[in-house]
Amino acid sequence: MYEAVHAHPDGDATAARFAATAARMGYDGVVVRARDAAPDYSAVREASDIDVVDAVEVVASAPERASGAVGGLRPDHTLLCVRGGTDRLNRFAVEGERVDVLTRPMAGDGDVNHVLANRAAENGVRIEFDFGPVLRATGGERVRALRDLRKLRELVADADAPFVVSANPASHLELRAPRELVAVGEAIGFDAETVRVGLCEWGELADRNRHRRSDSFVEPGVERGRYDG
Amino acid sequence: MKHLPKHLQPRWRYLAVGLEAWPDADVDRSDFQRAVWYAAGNLLGDPGSADADLRVLHFTFEDGAGEAVVRVRRGEVGPARAALACVDEVAGHQVGLYVRGVSGTIRGCEERYLGRRAGVRAERRVVFENDRRRCYVRDGNVDVDGPDGFTGATELDLDSEST
Repeated sequence: MYEAVHAHPDGDATAARFAATAARMGYDGVVVRARDAAPDYSAVREASDIDVVDAVEVVASAPERASGAVGGLRPDHTLLCVRGGTDRLNRFAVEGERVDVLTRPMAGDGDVNHVLANRAAENGVRIEFDFGPVLRATGGERVRALRDLRKLRELVADADAPFVVSANPASHLELRAPRELVAVGEAIGFDAETVRVGLCEWGELADRNRHRRSDSFVEPGVERGRYDG
Repeated sequence: MKHLPKHLQPRWRYLAVGLEAWPDADVDRSDFQRAVWYAAGNLLGDPGSADADLRVLHFTFEDGAGEAVVRVRRGEVGPARAALACVDEVAGHQVGLYVRGVSGTIRGCEERYLGRRAGVRAERRVVFENDRRRCYVRDGNVDVDGPDGFTGATELDLDSEST
């Protein structure tokens, strides 16, 4: 299981600290989603003994700006996420195959409907269930987050859209172990299996993209290698 | 009052919880107990919270790291885990926590999961992001002090000239 973290300078802990803490909690890897963090991935992997995925999260105010960033950053990173939060951004993220994950779709004014969920399913864009507000917010803010999560869960299940789960930790103190996240998921109406699948999905996405970026890959179904007919 | 016959006594499970915070945090047992009750009340509601009946039995916390034993009614370990995961602040200090294991007796819990004293904390001056800073080091983990509060790092992130 993997967790996608906001590493320093976006967050309050470096990728290495996240990896060390996640390894202790039983994660198989962390996805470092940050635009400015550029740790030495191989050194961090070696020190923590878990996988560390090079990812980027595009945070833009409008699709026009996000589009340029997606094109520019896609070749340099294994995973590319786009932060939603407005209807137009959500729509932009699920419309293209270049985006791997739409994060925080329900934050702020953002909303998702059956059209977007179906588009996400067609394009293979993962929709993120953000457990952050469930773990760290209180009162009305948390109630709204729970209501939104429920709506998103029903839409994703109906469209059979792919999804990921994350607690969106900004420091190693906000990281929670996989079993804890599964327990929280069960308390707020998710299946335990759904949460586990969502946590594993980050790793599968990373594997898929690494394979696609490897030299032997030409296009889906076509690979360079030894002829073994 | 006379104690209950054995078959009517509640059965308990004991969760071994590891705690972590920034180096300046100062937390005691009653603060943590209050945070746990609030988290359980908010997430599980009054009935769920009463069912889980979370109580902090042992608590040690020093220099930004600690451990606790939390008692929970048998069969409510899942909701208890969820409630504990929602504890993010204790007495105004941000706290990270992690359930190390569950046991049927306090003694089993302590022997198996607790007592791994975190290493000794040392204060050092290091170079982090081309800046000389004060930091606290323990077991290879480094909390670097800065103008906007602490940053969690490890030895890997320190620049080579720091000694």
